[in-house]
Amino acid sequence: MTGVELILLLPLIVLSGAAVAVMLAIAVRRNYLAAFLLTLLGFVLTIMAVALSPGGPQRNVTALFVFDDFARFFIGLITGAGLFVAVLAFDYFRQQRGQFEEFFIMLLGATFGCAVLVASRHFASLFLGLEILSVSLYAMIAYSRDREISTEAGLKYLILAGVSAAFLVFGMALVYAQTGALEFSRMPYITASPDEPLDIIVLAGFGMIIVGIGFKLALVPFHLWTPDVYQGAPAPVTAFIATASKGAVFALLLRLFAQTDVAFYPPLYVTFVILAIASMLFGSWLALLQNNMKRILAYSSIAHLGFLLVAFMGRGHIQSTAAAFYLTAYFVTTLGAFGIVSLLSPGERDAEWIEDYRGLFWRRPFVAVVFSVMIFSLAGIPLTGGFVGKVLVILAGEQAAQWALVVVLVTASAISLFYYVRVVGIMYMPAEAGGADRPALPGLSLQGGGALACLTGLLVLLGVYPGPFLDLVRDMVTTVYAGVLPR
Amino acid sequence: MATIPIHYGLLLAALLFVVGLVGVLVRRNILFILMSIEIMLNAAGLAFVVGGARWGRADGQVMVIIILTVAAAEVAVGLALVLRFHGWFKSLDADRASEMRG
Amino acid sequence: MPATVEIAVFWPFFVYFGCVIVLVAGMVGVSYVLGSRHWERATGAPFESGIVTTGSARVGVPANFYLVAMLFVIFDLESVFLFAWAAVVRQVGWTGYVGACVFIVMMAAALVYLWRVGALEGR
Repeated sequence: MTGVELILLLPLIVLSGAAVAVMLAIAVRRNYLAAFLLTLLGFVLTIMAVALSPGGPQRNVTALFVFDDFARFFIGLITGAGLFVAVLAFDYFRQQRGQFEEFFIMLLGATFGCAVLVASRHFASLFLGLEILSVSLYAMIAYSRDREISTEAGLKYLILAGVSAAFLVFGMALVYAQTGALEFSRMPYITASPDEPLDIIVLAGFGMIIVGIGFKLALVPFHLWTPDVYQGAPAPVTAFIATASKGAVFALLLRLFAQTDVAFYPPLYVTFVILAIASMLFGSWLALLQNNMKRILAYSSIAHLGFLLVAFMGRGHIQSTAAAFYLTAYFVTTLGAFGIVSLLSPGERDAEWIEDYRGLFWRRPFVAVVFSVMIFSLAGIPLTGGFVGKVLVILAGEQAAQWALVVVLVTASAISLFYYVRVVGIMYMPAEAGGADRPALPGLSLQGGGALACLTGLLVLLGVYPGPFLDLVRDMVTTVYAGVLPR
Repeated sequence: MATIPIHYGLLLAALLFVVGLVGVLVRRNILFILMSIEIMLNAAGLAFVVGGARWGRADGQVMVIIILTVAAAEVAVGLALVLRFHGWFKSLDADRASEMRG
Repeated sequence: MPATVEIAVFWPFFVYFGCVIVLVAGMVGVSYVLGSRHWERATGAPFESGIVTTGSARVGVPANFYLVAMLFVIFDLESVFLFAWAAVVRQVGWTGYVGACVFIVMMAAALVYLWRVGALEGR
């Protein structure tokens, strides 16, 4: 291990060190504010470490990690999401009874797992990162001790994530048994001879890996846990699952299949197309039937992962750029949407029913406007980041001649407009009738409001002036293909 | 010394995996579901041992140790949740966990 | 490799397996034939050093036992990594030493946390 490698590893070292530091701080003296501030410090130092680390392609550290620009970009993105979730959680848990200092250890741990995931180039680090993330998430989901559905959601997630991890690791074992490869770059590469059939065991192995990843991304046949877990988990945790956890796994998917390209072997390719179409259609359709804001956003996130898969299906720089841009816009938007749910939640329960939002504009104009911007971005309305992302994805699909996927994408977007408009509409209705039994809105804290304002600004910036960021993403994406055989 | 063909080992691992999967799908007691997940993970471990033996390298066995550690962590959190679940519902029946629908 | 050859190669396993079956069947069978039979009042009761049993076997176990078991499993498994390090301590050199030190420090930090939180009290 050389000095350069240590510097490259610094983001991971800082993150894990911060988790241990918070743990020791709790051991010395239990203080909610101190734990929160230490966590913030850890996240900020991690982002600085990412910004200062040398970039470029092919920065391998041991057999396990690679810290190219792709990994740096996603570690930065995920750490930013972690930072925002920490701010949300600070306000959220302050209103509840109990000890919540340990939540920040779990949050740092989960973020660490995500960072390991996006920097991994080996099955061992993939599995470890995924499980560090999952085990932290089980505890975070079930954290609201005095809520029945929180425990229920935690247990459901535990069982389904356990099964999906078993599928994933068994798939890895099959690939390893047949090819002897644990590093992504040594795995089968088939476009050189597409006619030659893939070994059946390798095919089965990759199939099982896709099942495991599909669970984590909540693609449609494997999405059953999503609405329940989103509803049961505390709102800041939901924000984390919807963004950091899914984003990390999707980045991993991009890297894994940029380096092996087995995904483009016909049977697996068709599987991905079916997953994408089903996710887009079912996600948009089922969201129409919900009256719970968290469940609406859950189904909406299923549809969005389907849109992302459309970009993933064309393997190339344009498509990967589109996917990375879309993912960033999705991060900002989803964090904002769940952030508002979290910040509006009084201590007893979450502000999750759509009725809670009736007439929000007349009571909290700032929050209502921010929420509208977030919803517009989710729907892909111009002047927001979501619109630019969707245009890029459609262009990418068109470039790869994926006409069926593009048509389904447009249809699903049209369906989704109905429930987005419904949510926005209810916020601008007059607030009266039945307002008495509604719990009082908690006051918006300075840091909470500031974070929301930042996200809104970022989202509009991405929508109005995406040029510089797009260049950044394009340069970043090229590093993930570095060292891969030419097509 | 003759070696056992690799496919036998993989077949055994696959059978174990299916036993675990069926257990998860059929059992209603949460403890047994957790045990079935352990069986599935250990089946993957067995497949890694078979692979390691085939290629004559240690990395398959390293993966087994990692799987064991992860499984222990998962069970630690899982059992804590089971205790809490029992406190809420006074039962370990997974079908009782149906507060949320839709 | 054809199946017949394999059976030829692995015959000691089959012999061993057969021996185990014969031994167990023999022990059970012989004691069945030679053993005495009686049906008294206490024949069906479990034998506990001559003391009459009280209560049911299905008693609630305090959750503290779960805690102890979990601590054991976690810290027990961590030692596996140290054994793996011990096996190759000369090859991995100082890098491995530093790695193991980091690992042990993390374990110690976790232990300090558990101690301060009161998880080791065993109330």
